[in-house]
Amino acid sequence: MKNITVRILLVVMVITTFSSCKKSFLELNPPANLTPEQALRTEADLLVALRGAYAGLRSTAMYGRDQMVIGDMMADNTYQSVLNTNRYTLFNNYSYNLTDGNVSGLWSTAYAIILRTNNIINANVSGASVNQIKGEARAIRALCYFNLVRYFSRPFTDNPNGLGVPIITVYNADLKPGRNTITEVYNQIHTDLNAAYNLMTTYSNSSQFSKFGARALQARVFLTQNDKTNARTAALDVINNGGFTLITAAGHGAYWANPVIRTDRVETIFEVSADAVANNAFDGLSYIYSQAGNYGDMLCADDLYASFGAADVRRQLYATGVRGGLPSVFVNKYPNFVGDHSDTKVLRLSEMYLIVAEATTNETEARTYVNAITAQRGASAITSTGTTLFNDIMAERRKELAFEGHRYMDMQRLKLDINRGANYPAAARTIAYANFRRVFPIPQTEIDVNPTIKAQQNPGW
Amino acid sequence: MRKCLIAFLCGLLVSFQVSAQNKVIKGRVTDETSNPVPNASVVIKGAKAGAVTDANGSYSISVPGSTTTLVFSSLNFANQEVVIGNKTEINVQLKASISTLQDVVVVGYGTTKKATLTGSVSTVKAAEIENTPFTSVDKALQGKVAGLQSVASSGQPGSTQEIVIRGFSSISASNQPLWIVDGIILNTGDISRLQTTANILSTLNPNDIESISVLKDAAATSIYGSRGANGVIIVTTKKGRSGKTRVRFDMEAGKSDIAYENSLYRPLNAQEYLDLSREGLVNLGASPAAINSTLASLGLGNGVDFNWYDAVTRIAGQRLYNISLDGGNDKTSFFISAGNFFQEGTSINSKLKRNSFNVKISNKTTEKLTIGVNMNGGVVSQRAPLAGGAFGNPILSAYFLLPTRTPYNKDGSYNLISSTLGGLHNTIALSDIDRRFLREVSLRGAANAEYKFSDNLKFRSNYGVDYNTAEEDQYNNPIHGDGQATNGRAFSYYTRYFNWTFTNTLDYTKDLTSNGDLSLFFQAGLESQKSAGYFSSLRADQFPPSLTLVYPTSGASPVLSSATISDYTFDSKFINGNLNFQDRFVFSGSFRRDGSSRFSSANRYGNFWSLGATWNLEREKFMEKFTFINQLKLRTSIGVNGNAGIGNYDSPPLYGFGFNYNQNPGSAPTNVGDPNLTWELNKPFDAGIDLSILKSRVNITFDYYVRKSEGLLLNVPLSLTSGFSSARRNIGSMENRGIEFEVNIVPVQTKDLRWEIDFNYAANRNKITSLPDGKDIGNGSYIIRVGQARLTYFQRVYAGVDPANGDPLWYADTTLTTKTNTYPGAGARVLVGQALPKFFGSFSNTITYKGFSVSAQLYYNFGNLIYDTWSGFYLGSGNGAVYNKVARQLNRWTKPGDITDIPRYVYNGNRNFQSASTFNLAQGDYIRLRDFQIGYDLSKQELSKLKIGALRVYVRGSNLVTWVKDKRLAFDPEQGVSATTNLNVFIPKTVTFGLNVTL
Repeated sequence: MKNITVRILLVVMVITTFSSCKKSFLELNPPANLTPEQALRTEADLLVALRGAYAGLRSTAMYGRDQMVIGDMMADNTYQSVLNTNRYTLFNNYSYNLTDGNVSGLWSTAYAIILRTNNIINANVSGASVNQIKGEARAIRALCYFNLVRYFSRPFTDNPNGLGVPIITVYNADLKPGRNTITEVYNQIHTDLNAAYNLMTTYSNSSQFSKFGARALQARVFLTQNDKTNARTAALDVINNGGFTLITAAGHGAYWANPVIRTDRVETIFEVSADAVANNAFDGLSYIYSQAGNYGDMLCADDLYASFGAADVRRQLYATGVRGGLPSVFVNKYPNFVGDHSDTKVLRLSEMYLIVAEATTNETEARTYVNAITAQRGASAITSTGTTLFNDIMAERRKELAFEGHRYMDMQRLKLDINRGANYPAAARTIAYANFRRVFPIPQTEIDVNPTIKAQQNPGW
Repeated sequence: MRKCLIAFLCGLLVSFQVSAQNKVIKGRVTDETSNPVPNASVVIKGAKAGAVTDANGSYSISVPGSTTTLVFSSLNFANQEVVIGNKTEINVQLKASISTLQDVVVVGYGTTKKATLTGSVSTVKAAEIENTPFTSVDKALQGKVAGLQSVASSGQPGSTQEIVIRGFSSISASNQPLWIVDGIILNTGDISRLQTTANILSTLNPNDIESISVLKDAAATSIYGSRGANGVIIVTTKKGRSGKTRVRFDMEAGKSDIAYENSLYRPLNAQEYLDLSREGLVNLGASPAAINSTLASLGLGNGVDFNWYDAVTRIAGQRLYNISLDGGNDKTSFFISAGNFFQEGTSINSKLKRNSFNVKISNKTTEKLTIGVNMNGGVVSQRAPLAGGAFGNPILSAYFLLPTRTPYNKDGSYNLISSTLGGLHNTIALSDIDRRFLREVSLRGAANAEYKFSDNLKFRSNYGVDYNTAEEDQYNNPIHGDGQATNGRAFSYYTRYFNWTFTNTLDYTKDLTSNGDLSLFFQAGLESQKSAGYFSSLRADQFPPSLTLVYPTSGASPVLSSATISDYTFDSKFINGNLNFQDRFVFSGSFRRDGSSRFSSANRYGNFWSLGATWNLEREKFMEKFTFINQLKLRTSIGVNGNAGIGNYDSPPLYGFGFNYNQNPGSAPTNVGDPNLTWELNKPFDAGIDLSILKSRVNITFDYYVRKSEGLLLNVPLSLTSGFSSARRNIGSMENRGIEFEVNIVPVQTKDLRWEIDFNYAANRNKITSLPDGKDIGNGSYIIRVGQARLTYFQRVYAGVDPANGDPLWYADTTLTTKTNTYPGAGARVLVGQALPKFFGSFSNTITYKGFSVSAQLYYNFGNLIYDTWSGFYLGSGNGAVYNKVARQLNRWTKPGDITDIPRYVYNGNRNFQSASTFNLAQGDYIRLRDFQIGYDLSKQELSKLKIGALRVYVRGSNLVTWVKDKRLAFDPEQGVSATTNLNVFIPKTVTFGLNVTL
């Protein structure tokens, strides 16, 4: 009896042992993830990965908010209300430091998007739309490098051989790269944009890069390099061959109020989409400008508002009121933060006209192209010549592209001192071109882990 | 798996056999002064069930003819064994004990006599954790065990508690101990995903716990292999004792208030704030017109002076009811309890309610087979306000909202206009209108069987389930607050963990010599575990205006619908044994092989072991002359155990989804991954002494330990240009070295008066010994650096205020020689101290005179610094100008020559004064009256008149007095192990009145 029991029990123990030792018991796959090999196997997979790269552009650190706000705040267009949620205070005061979260946010987010595009561009996948997908990925990568090199390096127009940013085109987690030169970075951008222009054949909608989206970005890149001939050529290519049309004065208000991505090729060449589900909520662009929510910290500089003529339809994008006890001008360029959110305009046809106007050596052509814009805004036509004409074009550029992240970049490429109005703190109204804070520091987090780049910090930091 | 269990139980059923021929033995049990000992247990040696003495100490027990020995035991008395022989009446006089070698200690996969214990194990008894105002047992453990640091970071009822035993073993993986309740390996920690905090252990009623063993060294913890590195806490719930059914009833009610407040951190009133702001605007250089209009916008002249701090904090209430029944006969015993507990936090919108039960039944089916089931469960409802920088956090509003802003309109209705609240949220209205709610249901149940093949061979099987669910609901109204932007929003999250452990052990004991001098204990075991997590999350926006429609079903725009799972498995084999020579020398050893789903197949298995030895010197001939020594035990152990406390899917390189665009799916790389990832190793060494002298009136335990962690599961920072910020790798090492000291003294022990003193002390030195390439790793306020402790602050040193102009000054370099008024670069940061205490412990006194008792426990903690996260806002000399400030800001510099540490107040900030520096650090040293209790137990005469078994009434105070060394300390010195404040619900001090009755 006893022996039988012992045997039965031993058998049970053995069974138990094996039942729990089956290999599959310890073999658990992640339920919501794939390995990189599984995730990039087909053409359809690449399309999914491409959307991931676009979604990266929507991050708060990129076109979700920071690039647009900082690009105007570090210049003279937008300032922080006395009644604020303490966002961008240090940019308003020009006292941001090495550990600033917005600075490291741009650095890390841009490179995270670059990784997403690298994996697409390097994927060994064939299919009818692979070229289009890879072309879009290249345009996105170019856009990221363009933003990185403009914020973290002195302007190309200053010293093309200065330190740019590290160029990473192949994933290697353990790499500690040093900085390439500014020229090398711009060459990389052109390589990508030329490839993108040649690879892409499809126009999907305003929220995706197209052939002429890549060309439009390239026009801006050339202008940033002060390569006016190529800038003009590229911009004209977009204007003449892209199939886009300018918004009219009558359609101007509706254009900015519209939260939906477009397929009609009106005005928008490329924008970053935020929809009703995928958006930055409180940390979005609309929320920081609109007075209808809880924030509304960012206001329009008085001198900018004053520069709009009474009949200028753009003036209607601004409202006057009182905030923090002070008369203030509110920005309504991004009104939608409920439901489908306002998208972030990255490239517009109007900019191409302004690029031609600025880049051309022919003053008649310059006036023609800038007045194509003024005519559609209810603004008076520009008739000036010489330096005045240039200044008038720049003033028009400020008015047209305000709150779209351009202003500071213009001051950089033109190597201008920034003179901010009385809306800004007294200690931060004149920002000389030589001020070291005109160039972001390589973030402390990068310096801490990357010995190569440690010795390549920007001057002053 | 379940099939196997059934097969196994069937196997056991085959073996039923019963033998009869009983006889009855009667007698009386008394103490050394011949008073009767009621409720003493009388059992046949080797059996579990038996008889219990009545109020006169009398008993009667029916025993089989084969029985040779009876064992008599009772709380606070030494066990006594009596050989039956031909006797039918056995009277026994029990000797008082505090701690003896015969005490049984719960250890991994069984129990052991203290004499044979080679490891370092501390035990906590039921009486120490019953009826405390703490919502979970981990909170109640503070100060009870030397070397166990238990720290709260929030006074929210049901909040998590961090426990660190013998220092941090890991940098990036878990540092929390393994919890085992009645043989079930638990999922512990924070179950909340939507709410602020929800401690799974708060579903376990501390009153249902009989004992807790805290396993600290290799000999004790290595049997838990890959999860032993951070120590193991074994909880045994209450079980029934045979005899007359006892009914116990506990009730308690009390009030609590904030435990620590510093008048320097009182938020300013309207006049103070406006005066300061005017000064700040003048210092900014604003024009008189601008000053007046800005001040008007801040509320100048509106006549409002509202104290938000007072409005969001409160005197909170709490109550507790417990009822339990236990009893049984010589075959079956049972314990059943039910509990109801309610506690409010010290701020609005903070409360917890728990209903709990515990059932434990044990049946001696045959002479050889004992089966048992137990089930323990709790239902917790909790409301926890937002914490940290959230505008909806009531504590934030206490410090940020201006006294010139009012939460009420003139007609008494809520003010819901953000612009009239400075853009902040009316947390008083929101705590009424919005919903934040969590309900947890937890069940811990096990079925077990023990079969004795013979006196020396025993098989035991335990299948246990740990089931936790959390339902979380949140509603933010469309009018004001976090829901305004989306025209209202509501969330509903569901979380479930189904976690089972199946353990089978075979125990074998054998006398290796015929005289019993040398004996062997050997155990072999198998254990498998699977935890299955299930998570669903949804959210809808766009709500109808009615504020009563609070669930997502009413929202027009479903913006989140997500569900996923997360599982892990462990599969283990272990052996465990010891060799005992006359209870003088004992050698122990253990080995465990663990496999885990968390690592790739190449590195799935790990081997863990320990060796231990003890020498009970008092048993030696040469010690006989030292009659005052009752126990002198030397013990030591070494071994290896592990830490697998990382995410379930951290090992493979991964792409994640949810990076969607235009509502089409998008993907992106989410994990660097490392296919070679494996266990973090922990190698503890321990040497200890247990000394008991003067009739066990003085008991001392001392331990010295060194534990080395190697192959840390470290998040190694990467160059951000890779697209990732860090990768988890097995690299780096760390060491903890420390001493622990526990003293128990009974200076007075007479018939009526007893005075007992307990003291414990632990000092730990943590040191990182290697890192990748020896390089520092930045870590927020801290630095991870070779040679330094984990959580060492690395900060710019604040050098005070320039008396000439009121500018803040910092040291410009690490030699602290040059001062500058420009916020220095990262190169100026220096090591300034650590978040972990250098030493901590407790000191308790209990005096009992007849029925009266007074006890007090002081908890102390020394040698750490606390970082005040939000100081830059309420004490930033003008930073965050539109938020309120605290009284300490009034000490600002105002004129040349002023000597102060607070710079000139400039509207919108003075030269980055608000940025991180040592200004934000304060010393964390404190002593707190953790527990104070006055009670009265009715005498036997009074009890017999009332015809009840026992009755006790008491008043208890918790955290009544807190002494801090640093008078600049902003908030409670308990701010989590990382010692960082975060505007959490304040930790309470509590006074309760209670009554315990046993029928």
